[in-house]
Amino acid sequence: MKFQIPIGPQHPALKEPISLRMTVEGEVIRDADIRLGYNHRGLEKLAEDKTWIQNIYLTERICGICSHSHATCYVQGVEKLMEIVPPKRGLYIRYLVSELERIHSHLLWLGVAGHEAGFDSFFMYTWRDREIVMDLLELISGNRVHYAINTLGGVRRDIDEGQKAKILEGIITLRKRSEYYFHIGANEPSFVARLAGVGLLTKEQAVSLCAVGPMARASGITRDVRKEDPYAVYDEMDFEVGTAESCDVLGRVVVRVKELLESYKLCEQILHKLPAGDIVVKAPRKAKPNEAVSRYEAPRGENIHYIKSNGSDKPERLKVRAPTLANYPATVEMLKNGFIADIPLIFAAIDPCICCAERTVSLVNIRSGEETVVRLSDLRRQAIERHKNAPPKRNAVWPF
Amino acid sequence: MTDVELIENIKRDLGAKALEVTNPDRRRIFLKVGPADLVPAVTVLRDRYDCRYLATISGVDKGEMFEILYHFASPAANINVRTEIPKASPHVESISPTIPGAVLYERELQDMFGMVIDHIPDPRPLVLPDDWPAANYPLRKDWKFERPQEIIPGGKS
Repeated sequence: MKFQIPIGPQHPALKEPISLRMTVEGEVIRDADIRLGYNHRGLEKLAEDKTWIQNIYLTERICGICSHSHATCYVQGVEKLMEIVPPKRGLYIRYLVSELERIHSHLLWLGVAGHEAGFDSFFMYTWRDREIVMDLLELISGNRVHYAINTLGGVRRDIDEGQKAKILEGIITLRKRSEYYFHIGANEPSFVARLAGVGLLTKEQAVSLCAVGPMARASGITRDVRKEDPYAVYDEMDFEVGTAESCDVLGRVVVRVKELLESYKLCEQILHKLPAGDIVVKAPRKAKPNEAVSRYEAPRGENIHYIKSNGSDKPERLKVRAPTLANYPATVEMLKNGFIADIPLIFAAIDPCICCAERTVSLVNIRSGEETVVRLSDLRRQAIERHKNAPPKRNAVWPF
Repeated sequence: MTDVELIENIKRDLGAKALEVTNPDRRRIFLKVGPADLVPAVTVLRDRYDCRYLATISGVDKGEMFEILYHFASPAANINVRTEIPKASPHVESISPTIPGAVLYERELQDMFGMVIDHIPDPRPLVLPDDWPAANYPLRKDWKFERPQEIIPGGKS
């Protein structure tokens, strides 16, 4: 007897709108179907009406977690079209932000994996440590989410010695913490028992279904654009591609922790080798008719942009493929013959970013009125004052 | 294998099927084939050049013609197979039997450009909503978005 159960588009286990239709036989999933489009914003069409510069900020808003990935992928391609070469220092800063972003994204994912596996203290630990890297990103760019550091021909902000020292200091702490997570991920018996053998994706399946990123690497494929097709600064760096052979969710945890440790190495190398000089060159307003394929290793896998110019100040075509979309066919295979209780875990293991895959634009209206800028220290002071003046709470009474 | 050697080999293996091979940048190869030769060419690339990983498929509206680019990535290079089909009869053969991971991108082409992918294993719409009006293909150049008039029941007060 087979039943079909719908999960999503609005479901407590999934944070973003996507619909999964599961055909189940008892507790076992026999078939899965994914329906997309609940979040489609038509960004590729919109990009054709915006100038090269405006599109940086548009592509940055494809995703809220890997915002720098899309902007960098776009900027790399447009710089090829415009035939400009950014100065070395600018490139180093750009890819420093890339690596810091990978660290924050992987720490976020580790927390989600811990949460879905019912190991909430792991979730709280990793998200606490994620604040360190978020603060570092804020230190460099002024923002925690959309860093807006890229521009055509380089980056918009330089870093000084003080910032450099602070980043290195933060990385030392993060490395210590990540080694501890690696230890837990590989040794904590209940965590390992929950993750091992769940969501199997064999190497053959991963190859034929074109899986990308940590999903593919956990199935033993050593494909990483940074190594395979080294862009910008990566051919000057020493790092390894983290892989695992276990083909399950545990392997995906291991791969991401290995990548964290490699990213710390990369950040330190970038900071130690940081050359002196300019951070940006002037970019022309228009690009000659041409085309470029730009590849970038985002935290979730390969990100590819195809950009075609027509001689004007706007692109003729901008095609964006986010890594999550590439991982959907493989996800269906992973869900098959699994249990209903494993759905959130398997689905979370691809680190899905629905809004990436559907490339939409969400706009938030701020209610009109006066806007004031409050400094963080003032805000903290206000919070403390408010807390002091709040009426005292009665002590909770134990009901029995 | 360098790009030059790779291009030589591809030209030799594909023969007359390869209409044009260009190498605009390091590790970027653009190969043009006719729409009828697409599946055989992709099969050759998959079997002899390790192009089993399809990164994505891009469609471009060029006025009278549609251009389709299949972006393959092998460890040696990024090989982009290009083909052109007329807009009046936009039929192209599915490569999903050869490359199973291609099906989502082919469905996206059907949605956004109104191309007809023959023998596609799963022809349902991918991203457009169920109540999307027929024969509206958003990424065609002649399609313009007009925001519908906002009607508030009872009017603004």
